[in-house]
Amino acid sequence: MEFPTVISITEDVLDLDALLAQVTLDSTGAAAVFTGMVRKVTARGEAHETLYLEYEAYQPMAEAKMRQVADEIRSRWPAVEGIGIVQRVGRLHPQTPTVLIACTAAHRDTGVFEAARYGIDRLKEIVPVWKKEVSPQGEFWVEGDYIPKPGE
Amino acid sequence: MNRIQILLFATLRDTLGTRRLQLDLPAEATVAGLKDLLVATYPQLSPSRNSIMVAVNQEYAGDDSPIPSGAEIALFPPVSGG
Repeated sequence: MEFPTVISITEDVLDLDALLAQVTLDSTGAAAVFTGMVRKVTARGEAHETLYLEYEAYQPMAEAKMRQVADEIRSRWPAVEGIGIVQRVGRLHPQTPTVLIACTAAHRDTGVFEAARYGIDRLKEIVPVWKKEVSPQGEFWVEGDYIPKPGE
Repeated sequence: MNRIQILLFATLRDTLGTRRLQLDLPAEATVAGLKDLLVATYPQLSPSRNSIMVAVNQEYAGDDSPIPSGAEIALFPPVSGG
């Protein structure tokens, strides 16, 4: 049986219940979900306030890389069954969910928490999506610090 | 010559003020050669040369990677999604 892998990039409001339903099977007894949010007040590092974030994606490559992240999760945690990865793009204001990672398994002690954590960490390394931060002081593109290897 | 389409994202799109470019590359060009030509054509890219990521046909490429005829090239900064 093929386990569900749901990958999407959308401008629409993220629907956690709908995603969870898509990755839930008869065998599912645990789901680990991560949601990234737009933070209004940043205290860590250089303290600042955010008016909104503007996300954009290189869509076909981003979808392919999200699928690669799901494949990497499956090879590391074979007990993970359903995987959902959804990135929202466009203008997103504070307290808005920006990304959903959902991993399901039969039981919670299967690595399902670590799998969801890996999913968001890896997305931030290799999936070609960028965000521009707009603050009262001006705007700037956020740049990550990970340089993928050729073919990674 | 090999005419290629280049897609630009994030800072690079803002720096050059366009979403796409066309460039004529010599046959058997590599990513390093593409970067040389880009920086020569658009000196404003010079400060970010070392942080420009290059995707060839939607896969991360290194300086030595060849650029096949008709390739789709994308240039962008290190990713920051999530």
